[in-house]
Amino acid sequence: MAYKDLREFLALLEKENQLVRIKEEVMPEPDLSAIGKSAPSIESAPAVFVEKIKGYKNSVALNVHGSWQNHALMLGLPKNTSIKEQFFALDEKWSKYPIKPVWVNKEQAPVKEVKITTDINLFDVLPLFRVNKYDGGFYISKALIVSKDPDDPDNLDKQNAGTYRIQVKGKDLVGIQPLPFHDIAIHLKKAEEKNQPLPIAICIGNDPVLNFMSSTPVEYAQSEYDFAGALKGEPIELTKSEQGNLDVPARSEIILEGYIIPRERKIEGPFGEFPGSYSGARLQPEVRIHTITHRTNPIFENLYLGMPWTEIDYLLALNTSLPLYRQLKRDFPEVVAVNAMYTHGMGVIVSTKSRFGGYGKAVAMRLLSTPHGMPYSKIVIIVDEFVDPFNLEQVMWALTTRVRVDKDVVTIPFAPGMPLDPSSEPAGMHTKLIIDATTPVAPDKARDTELLDVPKKTEFWLNYLKNIARSEVN
Amino acid sequence: MICPRCDSEKVNLLTKSPVGGAWEVYICETCCFSWRSTEDDDIKDPNKYDKRFKIDKDKISELDQIPPIPALLEEKN
Ligand SMILES: [Zn+2]
Repeated sequence: MAYKDLREFLALLEKENQLVRIKEEVMPEPDLSAIGKSAPSIESAPAVFVEKIKGYKNSVALNVHGSWQNHALMLGLPKNTSIKEQFFALDEKWSKYPIKPVWVNKEQAPVKEVKITTDINLFDVLPLFRVNKYDGGFYISKALIVSKDPDDPDNLDKQNAGTYRIQVKGKDLVGIQPLPFHDIAIHLKKAEEKNQPLPIAICIGNDPVLNFMSSTPVEYAQSEYDFAGALKGEPIELTKSEQGNLDVPARSEIILEGYIIPRERKIEGPFGEFPGSYSGARLQPEVRIHTITHRTNPIFENLYLGMPWTEIDYLLALNTSLPLYRQLKRDFPEVVAVNAMYTHGMGVIVSTKSRFGGYGKAVAMRLLSTPHGMPYSKIVIIVDEFVDPFNLEQVMWALTTRVRVDKDVVTIPFAPGMPLDPSSEPAGMHTKLIIDATTPVAPDKARDTELLDVPKKTEFWLNYLKNIARSEVN
Repeated sequence: MICPRCDSEKVNLLTKSPVGGAWEVYICETCCFSWRSTEDDDIKDPNKYDKRFKIDKDKISELDQIPPIPALLEEKN
């Protein structure tokens, strides 16, 4: 892979004209979130490196994952690779799971260059800023959080590296949101049953593949590090935490080490969340930070999330689609591709060949019973195998010409839902919608229609025109 | 100083800017709200803070717990 860590990835983005630098000093508010909002809106949707923030020592990187170009470069592909091609390239890399990590000594781990254990003040290291106006405070929104199963601390597969929102609440105190269905909540429950603190490491400024994997719904006993290695085609470098025996990325920019205070909950939130609305204030656990290690001149990479699409929508796009695709494909080999890019899989489009009448509905029902699809997916559209589910014009064609509204539209009332979906009522319950936009096959029957043909030599001319267009750009 | 969000009087200085006396950050002990001295008045001023996001400090203990605190396991002898 062309990069080993965030720094090298930023250098790659810059070389590919996918990174811009802001050299003038900016204010933490409102400039940093305004930059995060703006970056995905311009055509190349570059990452932004903000060198100087008033009152702070260190720099900020924003929108690192926030475009299909950056996403392709993260996967080691040319920056103009189409979404569908990226999907299949990701599927191929995924098949290499597991590629186990390697461990390096603390002396060789860049993240150990500087170590702070006294007079900790998070603001000294992190240029913290308000992400959305009515957030309850300053958030670390793009960290990888590592924890272990307290009953099985040597089991690396049960070690978890996930992304959970972190609210700064003191110089050495933060709040964390482990939702009950998150893996870290399983670790916390086991620790709290014994009234023990749970050691965690909050890793910031990571290899972009690590952030991609830490927001992917993998199974409890699957290691995010092994997946990240598979995506890179080479092992991730880990090192040991200073305390708590955790395995942390050796090349991250900054690692905050601490422990979740057992059996206490304090007010946290609100925070602007991925569906484009605030999630309310709740009582949640807090984390005491006892050690910070970081690289020299550490970069604070953070996530702005706003009205979709912003960076998080790119970050949660194909890594939501692929596990669903693989789970469906196991039982329904006719499935061609899954596009679950809409609001973390609340909207899903599946393309499949139909084995018999009603097959599209069966595929949709299987999707709605997968671990992720059950709570998240609300609107499921099934299209024929020749429709590209990533091409919304083609999907609209299927909806307008294939759907018999009386037969092909189904609702399932009062099914499991996602509490962060503002339309789930009560929070955590919603009604599912299935739209089967496939062409009926026997024993189902449709009026006779014949599809238009693609002219002979189309592929030749497509490539010919693409090449002319490309050479005119260069 | 009064917390702009819950009107509590228990407000502490969280930190001064690491460089050059540029700003201070304050935090409310009651509702954990934090803000920077350089933010707009509709963040810092209790009278201007958006009413939809105000917090009633007497009702904080009634908020949902996430995740719920499990029962303690019996000590094994
Ligand atoms: Zn308050």
